Amino acid sequence: MKNFTVNSSKWKLVNNLLVIFLALWGIAKQNYSLKEVSAFESFLIEAFAPIQRGTLSMQEKAAGMLEHYVMVVNTSKDNEQLRHKVDELENKIFEFQEVKKENERLKQLLQFGKEIPREKVLAQIVSWDASNEFKVLRINKGSSDGLKKMSPVITMNGLVGYVYRLTPHYSDILTILDQNNRVDSIVARTRSHGIVEGVSEFKCRLKYVNRTEAVKVDDEVITAGLGGIYPKGIKVGKITKIDKENFGITQSIVVTPSVNFHKLEEVVVLIEKDGAKNSIDNLIEKRDLAKEEKNE
Amino acid sequence: MNRRGLVDILSGLVKTCLLLVILEIFTTAFLPAIGILSFRPEFNVLIVLFLAFKLETPFLAWLILAVQYAHSIFSIEGWAIGAFAGVLISLSVRYLKDMLDFSTAISTIVVVQVFQIAWFVITSFLLSLKLGDFGNFVHLFWQDIPESLALSLLAPFFFVLLDRVWKVNAKEAGVAI
Repeated sequence: MKNFTVNSSKWKLVNNLLVIFLALWGIAKQNYSLKEVSAFESFLIEAFAPIQRGTLSMQEKAAGMLEHYVMVVNTSKDNEQLRHKVDELENKIFEFQEVKKENERLKQLLQFGKEIPREKVLAQIVSWDASNEFKVLRINKGSSDGLKKMSPVITMNGLVGYVYRLTPHYSDILTILDQNNRVDSIVARTRSHGIVEGVSEFKCRLKYVNRTEAVKVDDEVITAGLGGIYPKGIKVGKITKIDKENFGITQSIVVTPSVNFHKLEEVVVLIEKDGAKNSIDNLIEKRDLAKEEKNE
Repeated sequence: MNRRGLVDILSGLVKTCLLLVILEIFTTAFLPAIGILSFRPEFNVLIVLFLAFKLETPFLAWLILAVQYAHSIFSIEGWAIGAFAGVLISLSVRYLKDMLDFSTAISTIVVVQVFQIAWFVITSFLLSLKLGDFGNFVHLFWQDIPESLALSLLAPFFFVLLDRVWKVNAKEAGVAI
């Protein structure tokens, strides 16, 4: 121990090596498709997520107050008593309008996908991932609300992603913008099969579509229902760019997601009920058959 | 600089992690709330670089690991890639120490930017290796550059703050604003 003092360069070397090996082990173990959370991690997420949520609601309140302040300035010519009453009423109207807007949004969101026989849990966005490389959202619902890992997450506009990391009251959603999320998809018009992968700047890429497939710009891309995560028929996005290289057997297709991630506030998490998977597949098969018969 | 005892190190670490948590909340919740979704500065990188530049303790590798662990609460990136990159950078800093100059704000900005680029090369390489797709390597590398420029500009101010947290004296710190 004599030579192993705090100043020892040996000690430093041992620490560096230990951490490097630990990090290499961590990198090898890291799974970017699904994450098990340790009790300590869960505790930390549960502790800090309310602050993230609070930051978001503080911003909303500040914006509301600013809007309200502008309204108040316009009524400054009125007398003090009247202005006070007007303030109160306007404040109430503003609150009602906000509640009304939220109710409408939530109603639309819950009514969307009525035919999907899955339990729907409404959740609000709390924050985004801290790293640029990952497109992950944190929502305010967790395992205590019935959420399960790999549960699909949607809005009335289409697919958002799936539950990647779960704690009792919060979950992280791996969005379709992330390169680790691969969605088995089909082009609705041509039924061409491919895999949608996140790229960057809120765009995705539809991979592995044969170059002979006659896909066009503005074609809609929907989930194929394969892979066991997403139900079939959920809107993923629209084709916005097609590049056919002189070489290769596939074409390079850019898909713009149908969900506007810039304006995302609430999402719906679909939780599979027991035996629901079969009924979804039956429902989709029936719908496809009906469409084919109609076309014929 | 080896005068630091374990208590000093732990106290500095707790304060640094708290600062990181505040900055991560700012990045993950506040910036998206005001509509900025594509700009997410990685303050953990700046903190790890500070530790690598300014601290000479045998526990440096563990400090880097702890900072990265705090970062992993806010990102699915995890702690491992950043810890690996951080330790490699701290080792290279050890050999380049005589060449590094923090006496002016400009030199601090330049040094921080150079090491951030090294950081992004390492992390992009590891991430591409992990995902088995080197097609995205250049994209992964480039997408962090705008944020890294902002962080480099912030570095002189940020280092003054961290100098106080870690009680780095003026002679050691050498950062002038």
